[in-house]
Amino acid sequence: MLVFDHVSKRYPNGYEALSDVSFTVEAGAFVFLTGPSGAGKSTLLKLINGVERSSRGQVHVAGQNISRLPARKIPGLRQGIGVVFQNHQLLFDRRVYDNVALPLFIAGMKPAEIGRRVRAALSKVGLTGREGDWPETLSGGEQQRVGIARAVVHRPPILLADEPTGNLDPDLSREIMSLFLQFSQLGVTVLIATHDLELVESMPARRLQLQDGRIRAE
Amino acid sequence: MNESATGSGAHLRQINRTDRLKAWSRHHRQLFRSTLITLLNQPGALLITWLVIGIALSLPILLSLALREISEADTRQVIQPAMSVYLSVPSESETAQALLKRLRASSAVGEVRLITEQAALAEFSSLAGFGDVLNAFSENPLPGIIEVVPRERDGAGIKLLAQQIAGQDGVDQVSFDAAWLERLSAILGILERVLYALGVLFSGAVILIIGNTLRLTIENQRGEIEITKLFGGSDSFVQRPFIYRGFWLGFGGALLAFFIIQSSLLYLSGPVERLAQSYRSNFALEALNFGESIGLFALGALLGILGSWVSVWRYLKQIQPK
Repeated sequence: MLVFDHVSKRYPNGYEALSDVSFTVEAGAFVFLTGPSGAGKSTLLKLINGVERSSRGQVHVAGQNISRLPARKIPGLRQGIGVVFQNHQLLFDRRVYDNVALPLFIAGMKPAEIGRRVRAALSKVGLTGREGDWPETLSGGEQQRVGIARAVVHRPPILLADEPTGNLDPDLSREIMSLFLQFSQLGVTVLIATHDLELVESMPARRLQLQDGRIRAE
Repeated sequence: MNESATGSGAHLRQINRTDRLKAWSRHHRQLFRSTLITLLNQPGALLITWLVIGIALSLPILLSLALREISEADTRQVIQPAMSVYLSVPSESETAQALLKRLRASSAVGEVRLITEQAALAEFSSLAGFGDVLNAFSENPLPGIIEVVPRERDGAGIKLLAQQIAGQDGVDQVSFDAAWLERLSAILGILERVLYALGVLFSGAVILIIGNTLRLTIENQRGEIEITKLFGGSDSFVQRPFIYRGFWLGFGGALLAFFIIQSSLLYLSGPVERLAQSYRSNFALEALNFGESIGLFALGALLGILGSWVSVWRYLKQIQPK
């Protein structure tokens, strides 16, 4: 599903975030991406959804060579990838419903279908009946779960998460992680960047360890 | 699940062309309403923007309405006064009557009107201040006058006609102000150009105003735009709401311009009519008719869409998720 082939990323200021990174992730796999901050985890994720482009090497996503993808095809790529952020990046001037509905709205789905899918996604993350709430009125954990509902509502084959539990206490973090595990069991390829080693070690999952832009260990 | 089975997995489910078209038109219909509602949620800011656009649109249009009325054919009297043929013989005389007949038959002459000595005296004494002067004469000192409105509209042709009439029997002299005519038509020509230039400048101003307003909006919605792009919203998908906002700003501005123009005309109509009457003209500032009003709204909407296109496209492209 994901293939990195001798990928390097050098930013315009000369900083090399990734050097000669190669790995393969099978469809439906659940993979942790670990390493200290600045190791290149975020950059690696950005190469997958076309936010950044590799300086050298090839990135293949679902058989498509992203490194050579023309700009007009980037939206199509991103519609198949769900993203979860550390600070969840919800729109605070929109209700929970509209936040979760965003990917479906972009896909041009019928309003009735959108309503059905949004409610299904919210119930999956344990927020049934909260679609009319404003994000402000939710707790940190609830906000993060709204962010996860938004990332999976359009049933993307790939789910990327950048420090999804960074601001949460251990109990909430485990809860969120088990949610991700469920998605991978449904066939979604899940890649989670985190520096929460304790949490990673408590879960049976593959680990890609990054340090200074290189893969240290598997 | 192997790689080949999900070969196109990173794409959203394959959507066929009809569905995509339906989604596209649904998005347009939604935005048509939702962008107006969003704008109306900030009535103060919206009203000010509409007013600025309305004023910028109404100024050149008001000027062009005035110019159109001045140069229109039925107001020729104002800019093309009839030439006055002063008679050397009494207006009842056969010579004068024959001259009158010849002028009426002439193809170069549009309208002919005889002002007898008595009529001239009556008109003259009705003008303030002249009554006393005329009382000093024991008999009517005024000659009979034939007013001739030439068919010819250009200065040289009118001059030629005047010379022809001056050479006829019973004519004392012919008076008309050729230089004034030429000057006026030159001034109108200049005014017309000034007007075009103003029209272009004010349209440009409207485009800039709308572009600038939208850019501020974009700056406020930067986060939303980034997220939308991150979840696969294309550049044109992201731009579409701003096109509709531009449309509403321009259209609403044109609506206000319409009211500004019609009320200005109402406000001016009294004095203009009095002025026109003093020229014995039926000159009047006419309000925008139906077609022109529609044209004004279309212009506003078009400038709005253009303003959005020109200024927003590049700006939106620059906003990329980080």
